[in-house]
Amino acid sequence: MNITSNYSKDGSYKTYLQIVQSIRSFLNDNGYLELDLPVLSPALIPEPYLEVFKTEFKYMDEKQNLFLTPSPELFIKRLLASGIGDCYYMGKAFRNSEPHSPRHEPEFTMLEWYKVGKDYHYMADQVLKLLQHIAKIVTGDDSRISYQGTLISLEKWETFTVAQAFEKYAHINPETLFNEEAFIAAAQKKGYKTESFTYDDIWSQLYTQEVEPHLGMNGYPTMLYDYPVQFAALSKPNNDGVTAQRFEFYIAGLELGNCYTELTDATLQKTRFKQEAKEREISGKISHPVDWGFIESLERGMPECTGIAIGVERIGMIFANVQSIKDIKLITFS
Amino acid sequence: MKPAGNLKRGEFVLYQNDIWQLQKTEFYSPGKGSAVMRTKMKNVTNGKSIDMTYKSQESVETVEVASTEMQYLYKDTENAFFMDQHSYEQHTLLLSVIGTIINFFKEGEAMFVYVYNDKPLSIRPPASVQLKITETEDAARGDTVSNAKKEAIVETGAKVMVPLFIKQGEIISINPETGEYTGRV
Repeated sequence: MNITSNYSKDGSYKTYLQIVQSIRSFLNDNGYLELDLPVLSPALIPEPYLEVFKTEFKYMDEKQNLFLTPSPELFIKRLLASGIGDCYYMGKAFRNSEPHSPRHEPEFTMLEWYKVGKDYHYMADQVLKLLQHIAKIVTGDDSRISYQGTLISLEKWETFTVAQAFEKYAHINPETLFNEEAFIAAAQKKGYKTESFTYDDIWSQLYTQEVEPHLGMNGYPTMLYDYPVQFAALSKPNNDGVTAQRFEFYIAGLELGNCYTELTDATLQKTRFKQEAKEREISGKISHPVDWGFIESLERGMPECTGIAIGVERIGMIFANVQSIKDIKLITFS
Repeated sequence: MKPAGNLKRGEFVLYQNDIWQLQKTEFYSPGKGSAVMRTKMKNVTNGKSIDMTYKSQESVETVEVASTEMQYLYKDTENAFFMDQHSYEQHTLLLSVIGTIINFFKEGEAMFVYVYNDKPLSIRPPASVQLKITETEDAARGDTVSNAKKEAIVETGAKVMVPLFIKQGEIISINPETGEYTGRV
């Protein structure tokens, strides 16, 4: 693998830097405290679909496994339980077993941002304001941007629930979507391989093939919300029993961020952790100690809050109007 | 058969009883459900392209193809014509299947063609081709923008963007798959 300087005088790095600075100024001006956090941790939140980087601390005979954090969430939620209030982290995060591609690097910059006392719909409003603020700083116009020849208005969201999007784009009705057996049968009828695959696997394939390509493609950013509880992760369930308070947002088919109304129920979170740790084991992922201290901080009383994780390089791609993350990087590996 | 996670661009797969060539592959982990392999593939019979997403663990039937040296004869508006160098048999490939790569080959030139069950499927692209510039304007003096390019026409008639210092009559190398200038020969 070669390490290459990707610097060019008229390249997009400076625009990217401007974008990063505009994110910081938006959050600082709105009363969020910036957090400086570790990227190495002895334990992690069990993520069933993310692989981690494992390393080792050594001193004389002493050894300790450490893991590069795929998200700063485990640190921030402890701080929220200690009363730190509205806050954000913008720094490195790491995901293993996903190759370099135009929209992903194993090491990337993540913005994770929490607002106390509010829910995911409040966060959606704030994200739209952030997008307008970035546009204003980068282009001078806060109402729209142009990405690869397509105009995108930032004046409002295009919104769909996950159920509405599946109905519109994949022609699967909500009754089928939320019934694992019926959903698998519908996927099989469409020609997808279903044998020996779970609802989650098939859902992911169908979503990527039939729904995602339409998101953020109709002249507005798209906010897709209320995911099936199977994908609730750390979000609060809705009262309907089948969905959770999670949203993701897209511009030009590119997923940019993932938001939850945070689950504060320690018992439910513990059950999910056990289930997710088991799923990691079944799928042969690197085993790591589960951060049970996280559950303890929920038990101590984490405030009701909403949090979002945003891929900063992806935001950079959109606002710098480039097709690949590499275009905004100073150093690339090839 | 191989897991979709290991598919590579350029490979041939069987899908709905047709042979398709992978134009693009991207491993993608949506973070909700397991990882997938996003592909764009082209039907080698009719040239139609589709986007296809596989589960990364799903077994995909791949087609092992051979490659045979053929002489490129000529093309018309729909087809390109080739002759097998050994059997002297003539073959036809749809331009919509071959794509723009054919614009970087000279008539009479030898090249490799992917063949399956004696049927040619598409061209096996060489890493680069070398062609002479037949037409390009001299760069204006004082233009110092570092990455500036200008249009040039090469001997096959194809248009290529080249650096400003390239002159008419020079031979350049081109990546025939992307049509990009890769260097001066």
